[in-house]
Amino acid sequence: MKLVIDEKRCKGCNLCTMVCPYKIYKPGKKPNERGIVVPELDRPERCPNCRLQALYGRTLCGMCQMICPDQAISWVEEKPGEKKKVAIEF
Amino acid sequence: MTFSDWLRADRLPHIFCAGCGNGTVINCTLNAVDQAGLEKEETVFVSGIGCSSRAPGYIVTDSLHTTHGRALAFATGIKMANPALSVVVFTGDGDLAAIGGNHFIHACRRNIDLTVVCMNNMIYGMTGGQGSPTTPRMALSTTTPYGSAEPAFDLCELAIAAGANYVSRWTSYHVKELTRAILAGLRTPGLSFIEAMVQCPTNFGRRNRYRQPLDQVEYFKTHGMLVEKVRRLQEEGQEIPPETIVLGELARRNRPAMGVKT
Ligand SMILES: Cc1ncc(C[n+]2csc(CCOP(=O)(O)OP(=O)(O)O)c2C)c(N)n1
Ligand code: SF4
Ligand code: SF4
Ligand code: SF4
Ligand SMILES: [Mg+2]
Repeated sequence: MKLVIDEKRCKGCNLCTMVCPYKIYKPGKKPNERGIVVPELDRPERCPNCRLQALYGRTLCGMCQMICPDQAISWVEEKPGEKKKVAIEF
Repeated sequence: MTFSDWLRADRLPHIFCAGCGNGTVINCTLNAVDQAGLEKEETVFVSGIGCSSRAPGYIVTDSLHTTHGRALAFATGIKMANPALSVVVFTGDGDLAAIGGNHFIHACRRNIDLTVVCMNNMIYGMTGGQGSPTTPRMALSTTTPYGSAEPAFDLCELAIAAGANYVSRWTSYHVKELTRAILAGLRTPGLSFIEAMVQCPTNFGRRNRYRQPLDQVEYFKTHGMLVEKVRRLQEEGQEIPPETIVLGELARRNRPAMGVKT
C-alpha cells in the first residue's frame, strides 16, 4: 500500500509533521491549485503501514491519521502495474 | 471497520479552520466508537451550538444538532426514552459550562448513561473569540482585551463534584490516550465526561502567543502532566509548574446511574 494525502481535504496545518516518528511529513513549499501548502512526503514507503497494514489487518502507529484534523491521510492500494517501493527502517 | 467508515465523506472537508483541534477529537471519538463495536443504527450523536457542536453533521449516524447549551437536555430525553441507544454528546466549553452549566451539573448528578466529549478550546470560537468560563486568567479574548481577570472553571472537577461516574482529561496532542479514555467512557455505565483540550488557532491561539496551530499543540505536549505525577509532587510538597494541564483518568466509580442499557 502507499501513503497519500488527499489534497482536496488537507488544509496545510502541518500537525502531521509533528508526530511521525520517521519524520515522513515535511512542511510543503508551494501552494496547490486550491492555495493550500500541502506537506511533502519524504520516502513515505518507510511507514510500516505500507508493508504491514494488510498483513496485520489493522493500522499500525497511525499517529498522523489520528491527529490530522481534516481526515486527509490514508493508505491506498497501488494501481495494477504500478511500481511498489519498499523500505525498511529500524 | 475503521473510524473513517463513520464519516460522511460527502460532507468533507468540514468547515473547521486549518489546524483546528475539533477534527482530531472527531477522529478519536469515532475510533473509540468503532473499537467499542457499536452499531451505527443504535448510536446517536447529540450537540448544542458552536464550532465543536457541528461535529455530528459529519457522522453517518442519526444525530441531533440542538439549541445552544441544551445538548445534554436533549440527550437525556433520548436516553430515557430509549436506553438501548448509545448516546454520545459533543459540546464546547461555552455550550457546556456557560449557557448549559446547569444542564451539565444535573446530568452528572443524575448520572445518566451518556458519553460527553467536551472540546475545550477555552474560548467562544464560533462567535468570534469571546471569553468563556474556561478562558485562563490573563488570556486575551475579544471580551477580555487586557487579559481575563476571572478564575476559570475546571470542568473535570465540576463533573466529579456533581457525580459523574467516569471523568478524564486529554488533549488533541494525546490522540491514543484520548481514544482510550473515550472508549473507557463508552464502557462505563452512568455519565462519562471526557474533556479534550483543543487548539483554536483562529480565535484563541492567534491572540495568545500561539502563532501557528502547531505552537498550541506543542504547549499541550510540554505542559501536560499525568494526574499520578501531580498527586505525587503534591504529596512530596513540591511545586506544580505554572500552566500545567492535569491529564489522565480523574474519576471512575460506580454511583447509581439512570438510563443504563438492560
Ligand atoms: C441562545 C443562544 N445564545 C447565544 C448564541 C450565540 N452563540 C453561538 S455559539 C456560541 C458560543 C460557542 O462556544 P463554545 O460552546 O465554546 O463552542 P466553540 O465554537 O468554541 O467550539 C454562542 C454564544 C446562540 N447561538 N444561542
Ligand atoms: S502511521 Fe506513523 S509511521 Fe506511518 S506515516 Fe503516520 S505517523 Fe509516520
Ligand atoms: S495534518 Fe492533515 S490537514 Fe494538516 S497538513 Fe497534515 S495532512 Fe494536511
Ligand atoms: S474558530 Fe476556532 S474552534 Fe472554530 S473552527 Fe476555527 S479554529 Fe476551530
Ligand atoms: Mg469553545
